[in-house]
Amino acid sequence: MKNAGGAAERCQDAYAEAQKLQEKLNDVITFVDPAEQLEHLPEQGLMRGVPIALKDNVNTKGIRTTAGSRILSNYVPVYNADIADRLAAAGAVCIAKTSMDELAMGGTNLTCFTGAAHNPWDVRRMTGGSSGGSAAIVASGVVPMAIGSDTGDSVRKPAAYCGVVGVKPTYGRISRYGIIPYASSLDHVGYFTRSIKDACISLQVLAGRDDRDMTSSDRPVPDYLAELSDDMHGKRIAVIGNVVESIQNEKTVKMFNDLMDQLRARGAEVDVYQFDEDLMRAILPAYYLIANCEATSNHSNLDGIRFGVREEGEDMQAIMTNSRTKGFGPLIRRRFVIGSYGLFQENQERLFRKAQKVRRKIVEAMMECFRSYDCLIAPASGEIAPLIDTKADQDQLSSDYLVAENYMAMGNFSGCPSMTVPMGFEEGCPLGINLTCRPWEEGTMFGIGRAIEEITGYENLHAEVK
Amino acid sequence: MEYNVTIGIEIHVELKTNTKMFSGAPASFGRRANTCTNEVDLGQPGAMPCLNREAVREAVEACTALHLTIDPVVRFDRKNYYYSDLAKGFQITQQFHPLGRNGYVMIDTPKGPKKIRINRIHMEEDTAKQFHMTKVSLLDFNRSGIPLIEIVSEPDMTSGQEAEAYVSELRQTLYYLGVSDCKMEEGSMRCDVNVSIAPIGAEHLGTKNEIKNLNSIANIGKAVDYEVERQKKLLEAGEKVQQETRRFDEASGTTVMMRRKEGNVDYKFFPEPNIFPIRLDPEWIRGIQASMPELPEARRQRYAKEYGLGEHDINILIANKEMSEFFEQAMKGSKNPKGICNWLLSDISAWLNRHEQTIVTCQLKPQNLAKLVAMIDDGKISSKQAKELVDDLMEGRDPEQAASAKGLQQLSDTSAIDQMVSEVLTANPQAIADFAAGKDKAVGFLVGQVMKRSRGQANPAMVSERVRAELKKRTA
Repeated sequence: MKNAGGAAERCQDAYAEAQKLQEKLNDVITFVDPAEQLEHLPEQGLMRGVPIALKDNVNTKGIRTTAGSRILSNYVPVYNADIADRLAAAGAVCIAKTSMDELAMGGTNLTCFTGAAHNPWDVRRMTGGSSGGSAAIVASGVVPMAIGSDTGDSVRKPAAYCGVVGVKPTYGRISRYGIIPYASSLDHVGYFTRSIKDACISLQVLAGRDDRDMTSSDRPVPDYLAELSDDMHGKRIAVIGNVVESIQNEKTVKMFNDLMDQLRARGAEVDVYQFDEDLMRAILPAYYLIANCEATSNHSNLDGIRFGVREEGEDMQAIMTNSRTKGFGPLIRRRFVIGSYGLFQENQERLFRKAQKVRRKIVEAMMECFRSYDCLIAPASGEIAPLIDTKADQDQLSSDYLVAENYMAMGNFSGCPSMTVPMGFEEGCPLGINLTCRPWEEGTMFGIGRAIEEITGYENLHAEVK
Repeated sequence: MEYNVTIGIEIHVELKTNTKMFSGAPASFGRRANTCTNEVDLGQPGAMPCLNREAVREAVEACTALHLTIDPVVRFDRKNYYYSDLAKGFQITQQFHPLGRNGYVMIDTPKGPKKIRINRIHMEEDTAKQFHMTKVSLLDFNRSGIPLIEIVSEPDMTSGQEAEAYVSELRQTLYYLGVSDCKMEEGSMRCDVNVSIAPIGAEHLGTKNEIKNLNSIANIGKAVDYEVERQKKLLEAGEKVQQETRRFDEASGTTVMMRRKEGNVDYKFFPEPNIFPIRLDPEWIRGIQASMPELPEARRQRYAKEYGLGEHDINILIANKEMSEFFEQAMKGSKNPKGICNWLLSDISAWLNRHEQTIVTCQLKPQNLAKLVAMIDDGKISSKQAKELVDDLMEGRDPEQAASAKGLQQLSDTSAIDQMVSEVLTANPQAIADFAAGKDKAVGFLVGQVMKRSRGQANPAMVSERVRAELKKRTA
């Protein structure tokens, strides 16, 4: 990420490159000309002159922020997200607002109102979502870092599909103020880089208490880079047996197991750990309920009255109804209906509250595991990124790979830091490995991630977009 | 047929804080529309709530003053509904865990003191203010996010008079606490009154109607009385009372239907995920409770004990916090509480009403009032003369200087008075004869004559005493 002078040139090049790749990747919603930011660069800063991209749910004052939704396609925020200010203060220069699933509700990046984003490693394939645009813009080498958000696995899954590092730190580590939400109790600000070292620097810049987000923590922010250690001696790593067993692709399992052997060879103690299978199978439905219930409430402000695209009507009630009906895609409307249903008084105990209980049980089981282990580990997905047209309806619950493809919401349930790192390639497309550590132990997570990066050699990897 | 009347009241009170409940925007009344808002109050995407500590402090004071048990863990919930005055599409409130539970206030009724129980007090945020014009509706978000407490009574009241007494007592307490302006006419205190009636002996309560738009305490009594009569007439005509939301129409003194209530709206309450439960430090709560201002009840007792004032005077004095505070200021320079109190409640109050001023806005100084009362007590001027000094006093002038400027002084010189008495008696032999015949009226006549001769400046008590003495002497 180091900037060897030439900030302006570097940012202008990235800005041009992003536009050049747009036709193939469609990973940007709004390009941001870096000229004005370059005029106001701070004297110093950990990211001075580094071009970056922001997921389009990060509010940027005066710059359109759509959250990938038609209803916000004309929305220009009146204030900056906390992290937008922090990044600017560190000297980072935003060149693009990236594509995302509508309102961050999706795992494919096919539902953005500007169309699907394409995977830089194979443009026929999806990026994964919801932070697919940010994953793609980092994977294609345009910028070394991009912001995402992660409610279920929305940073870590696209990171796996795009072959980049995707970090979701502890809940409360990074302020969510000014991030257009999905589900507040599960939402995390996350980010993509192409190396663990850049991941360390980025968190250094992004982390810290913000008085406007009451859930943000006032714990001191460590110097992640200075404390980075790849020493695996004494590290206790638990392989999530349930996940590995549910993966049907033997190549993925072998790749993963080989990597575990190499970690052992470096001194780590790696055991297989089994969670209760019923609990693991309950992750997706519990996640789905909690997320949709909170989302339906969070997005009640999108009514076309004060901002956003307004569809006229006879009275205010009609304006609201019309704006919401036309402003959201079918998948979003369905999720709002589900969320609303789950919150109805007569259903709440049986659905929303029960999902909360499941969540607590899963967190308890994780904490129990963390009494003996420093890190939970498993492949981030069983397969490489799917082809774009094979998953026409992404929102149906499927029992195929249920556990393998959906377990990463554990990190959101618990708020534990979790990260995906490139693991290997199949058919020229990347696969990722996911690590989850105890709350506030991002340092441990980066250390193990660094060891994996040394083993695989996938530092500063990027795709040649064809 | 005789009926039981059941009344419960929900009151929303705007707290007096510098900033809003969940945002840093200023909380002020009467400013230009939409100038006291920010992204939080406007429900802009991505904005998050940040709890106002001062609002919690004031709510804790209110709970304490009204004898509620305080939940040391503060939790908030979302109340979800779509309405144009509700920016976020949900209101942050305390549905499941109100800050305070189970309190009461005491009210005076013709049958003696009565306890009105309070079910709960919870904190929440106000909505925007709507102005419906003929063609458009206007929204002012200055009110959006103003801190509120909602005070929910038990259905313990049985008449308009009790409802009035309850609201009045509550208002006085909150006003003394300084946590709210409690201005019903400006909407910083808003009452929704639920009224139902049922024949005496009936097993169930009748169907209740909610009355809104009550902008004064007097209107509460009027609205309740009207509503009770309306419901009686319906029942006696064999009709049913429908569950309705009604508003009080001040011009006609009646209640008018706003909307029928059909079933309960499902607000889909759930815990607010952006505010974790907050455990209040017991020391912090104790500190708040220890430094609370004196409340009306305590002040009543103190006035009886310290100043020996009668109940009636005390109640009137205390009903006006500023007047009561002025009284105490004046008492710093006076030994006559009854005198100070009488002046405040009669001549000064009358002057204030006449000039549309308050004890705070007028020029009257407490030490000047004390001085005036002392001048009367010392016989330097008569009460009648003192009344001529009211305008001077109210315009901030020193009563001694004003009296001498007006040439007002009381003649208390014994020899001068004796001389006048002697002259008057000599000039009125008939009166002396009347007195001798047992007609006491003659004394009054003679005193009047002496006062007239002194042009009102003689000390009437002295004159009266000297007239009697002289009469006795002359008729002995």
